[in-house]
Amino acid sequence: MTPKLSLRQLSKVYPGSEVAAVDRIDLDVQPGETLALLGSSGCGKSTTLNMIVGLEQPSSGDIQIDGQSIVATPAGKRNVGLVFQDYAVFTSMSVRQNLAFGLSVKGRPKAEIARAVAETAELLGMRDKLDARAQDLGGSELQRVAIGRTLVTRPSLLLLDEPLSNLETAARLAMRRELRRLQKEIGLTIVYVTHDQIEALSLADRIAVMSAGKIRQVEAATRIMDNPAHVFVASFLGDPPMTLIRGKVGGGVFRADGFALPLGDIPEGIVTLGLRPQALRLVAPGEGALTGRLSQVEPRGAEAALTLDCAGKAIRLLVPAQTRPVPGETCGLSIPEGALVAFDGDTNLRLPGAPHVAEAAR
Amino acid sequence: MSDSAQIAPMHSGPATGAAALAPPPPAHPPAPRAPRARKPALRFLTLPGNVISLLVLVVPLLVALYMSFTDWSPTGGSLLEASFVGLENYAELLVYDTRFVEAVGRTLFLAVVCLSLEFTLGLGLAVIFLREFRGKSMLFSAFLTPMMILPVVVGYTFWMLFQSNGPVNQLLGALIGMQNVPEWFRSAPFAMLAVIVTEVWHWTPLFFLILLSGLNAVPENPVRAAMILGASPRQIFFRVVLPMLKPVIVVAFVIRGMEILKLFDEVFMLTRGGPGSSTETISLYIYKLAFNDFQLAYGAAGAFLVLIGTLIVINLMLLPVRDQLVKGKA
Amino acid sequence: MGPKSLTLAQRLILLVALTVTMFPIFWIVMTALKPPTDWNAAPAVWLPSEPTLVNFATLFDPDAIKAYGLSGVSQPATPAILGSILASVSATALSIAIGLASAIGLSRYAKMTKWTPLMILSGRMFPPAAIAVPFVIMFSATRLIDTYAGLIAIYVAVTLPFSTWMLKSFVDDLPREIEQAAMLDGRSRLMAHVTVTIPLIKGGLFATTMFIFILNWSEFMFALVLSYSNISTIPVQLAKYVTATAGTLYGVQAALAVVAMIPLIVAGYAIQSHLARGMTFGAIKR
Repeated sequence: MTPKLSLRQLSKVYPGSEVAAVDRIDLDVQPGETLALLGSSGCGKSTTLNMIVGLEQPSSGDIQIDGQSIVATPAGKRNVGLVFQDYAVFTSMSVRQNLAFGLSVKGRPKAEIARAVAETAELLGMRDKLDARAQDLGGSELQRVAIGRTLVTRPSLLLLDEPLSNLETAARLAMRRELRRLQKEIGLTIVYVTHDQIEALSLADRIAVMSAGKIRQVEAATRIMDNPAHVFVASFLGDPPMTLIRGKVGGGVFRADGFALPLGDIPEGIVTLGLRPQALRLVAPGEGALTGRLSQVEPRGAEAALTLDCAGKAIRLLVPAQTRPVPGETCGLSIPEGALVAFDGDTNLRLPGAPHVAEAAR
Repeated sequence: MSDSAQIAPMHSGPATGAAALAPPPPAHPPAPRAPRARKPALRFLTLPGNVISLLVLVVPLLVALYMSFTDWSPTGGSLLEASFVGLENYAELLVYDTRFVEAVGRTLFLAVVCLSLEFTLGLGLAVIFLREFRGKSMLFSAFLTPMMILPVVVGYTFWMLFQSNGPVNQLLGALIGMQNVPEWFRSAPFAMLAVIVTEVWHWTPLFFLILLSGLNAVPENPVRAAMILGASPRQIFFRVVLPMLKPVIVVAFVIRGMEILKLFDEVFMLTRGGPGSSTETISLYIYKLAFNDFQLAYGAAGAFLVLIGTLIVINLMLLPVRDQLVKGKA
Repeated sequence: MGPKSLTLAQRLILLVALTVTMFPIFWIVMTALKPPTDWNAAPAVWLPSEPTLVNFATLFDPDAIKAYGLSGVSQPATPAILGSILASVSATALSIAIGLASAIGLSRYAKMTKWTPLMILSGRMFPPAAIAVPFVIMFSATRLIDTYAGLIAIYVAVTLPFSTWMLKSFVDDLPREIEQAAMLDGRSRLMAHVTVTIPLIKGGLFATTMFIFILNWSEFMFALVLSYSNISTIPVQLAKYVTATAGTLYGVQAALAVVAMIPLIVAGYAIQSHLARGMTFGAIKR
């Protein structure tokens, strides 16, 4: 199947800047798929979005829709819709005029415009709001108008820039459900940009994690949390994220400053060791692979996020609330199978194999 | 502001020597003032301004209003002894005084023509100034210069330019080969044209300035959104940008409209209302009535008719943007 | 959407606009430098055949122009220039002082209604010729006519809405918390405004002062009807040259016009980023 959207070695270097804002990224988005571009601000995700929609020209590389390059096509002719973070609704117009804008500037017949506007208003549940002035609307209504205004033009691809970040919590949950429903009902291909991993995990089929202009990993939303392919992904995803310790493996023992852990199935050399917070277990002092002092306890309802100080390294873990940990307490830490991942010290990429604590120390 | 700032006076207040020596607090203790309690205090700050406005603007207005109902003239003794004639002056102005009615019509005509030209030219220039080019800030200052010059000087300068042997006629002859160059101030239509050119030159910069600051404040994203939806630059300008400029445009028209309805200085220097009364504005006519013909009461009545008319026009123009003006942003 | 450069047509428009804008200013300055033979020559002389400062000298010494065989003006422009300075500077200082108090009062302690903008504007709508009539009567009765005190009082009243609302827009830009901190510090509200508010709007205060000066310096009609022989201002003197000896003293008049506009252009350029705010009573901020 031809991907709906393909990015090929796409780069953007701003004039006067040494560093590429977007650095040779490759990405395929399948028809009907929802893909989230996840990363912190300044990682290049918004620039990527702007290049796809045509607001910025790539420095090199190609953008294809249905296999056709669109780099030379002007923004208004790409048939790509974009919903801005601040919605950018035309405040001087009514909702109806906003929805009709895309078709009316193309000189479509009035009847066709009226039909399309009515359909979209129905889809977004805004039929009774059509004659309201846009400047009188609230946040989530503005967002509906912004989405509707784009949907009326039947874009082959819909781009959303931080779609939920300007909404209050309740509206955000409702809008999240709404977006999922829309996507199912009209089978749109959606790419959206967010810095919020919960949003990405709940909305997207796949997630592309970006940092420093590069795509670090593209993975199904259901799998990416457990299978970070890059140190950045491991440090960015999860709440709390994995504990990452950079050190050296020699003679079957991982050492970092005063911290030491005998490991199996791990290559010698410099590695970054990742410990999954959910997989670690608190045990009695003296039991388990490590012993440390609880330096922080952060209750989170049914769970508590703990920080355990082990030989100068702060290790984060998540335990059931009924464990009732006390700060300052000395505890043992058990590291079961599957709780560890290792990354290459030079490339920062995930190392094959399943590192585990050597029998002797268990 | 942080908590520490709010807590501070409780600790520092009694500790200072001055506070210790002060007499016990009277009715209202110097406790930290809650934000709510601040409202009425220091209202007196606006007092001097209000008193001056009252004495120097409102009182004369009332005197003028009273006068407009009398037949007073400076030669006829005190204003209080003048006989009360009711609405006679007003009726006279509206029904019989064709010169007044014509001055009103002429002033409105000038307002419409000059404001349309100033708006169009100012907007055109402002749109060009959205682009980047070398020397932009110098050119910006240069284009603002006319509005800084005093009206009397502008009037005198254009009076020189439009002399029959002046540079304007010289250019008309040289550039378009005009044989019979006009005597600008001896022909009614040409004199009117001279007034319009002078006004437009003088005040297009104001429209340019206001519209440019409005255009610069137009948010980028709606423009980009329109672009992505396939609108042409023309459609973006007329359907997205211009409607967002509406409050700014109204402000520009209101400010300029008020001034041009009072137009006096430039016309006084240029034509004195002539030839005949063919370029006479309302202000010029009232001035002549009062200070050349000494018909003060009659002139005052004319002024009030103008005020009522202006109030209605400006109020109608302000209606759609009044909320924004109150909030202090446009 | 990066900023675009100019098209050829736009460059041409700018060139034409610049020429049209600058030509009258060029003409008045050139006329001020022309010897009497060039003043009203036919065809018009564009550049002075023999640039001279005699027109400027004549402003201060009516006999200076006699060197060119003319009879000279009846009186020097010195009193008008001094009168303009006296009236404009005092009226500006008073208008700013009173306007500043009102601005703080309105911004911090009063409430605007939807009628407020209209009320401010109403004061500006009345034809000045009509306000001038009662002034002449009232000032004649109180012997304020033909005095600078009377003229200054009117200037203050006329410019007060501008100074109040322009300054208020600057005070509005300041967060209240800044003053509140000073007030809670034990300082009185008034002291808090003097020591905190006013220093923080220095730039705005300067811009407003310049703007009010421009308004006062330019004023013509009140000065025209309220001055007989004791007082004069530059605009009145300019108009008088036309009345008395129309067409015969172009150069001297132009010299006075140049003297009149130089301070305004200096002040105008100094505050050009605030001109829109001043003209619109603070409604437009940049």
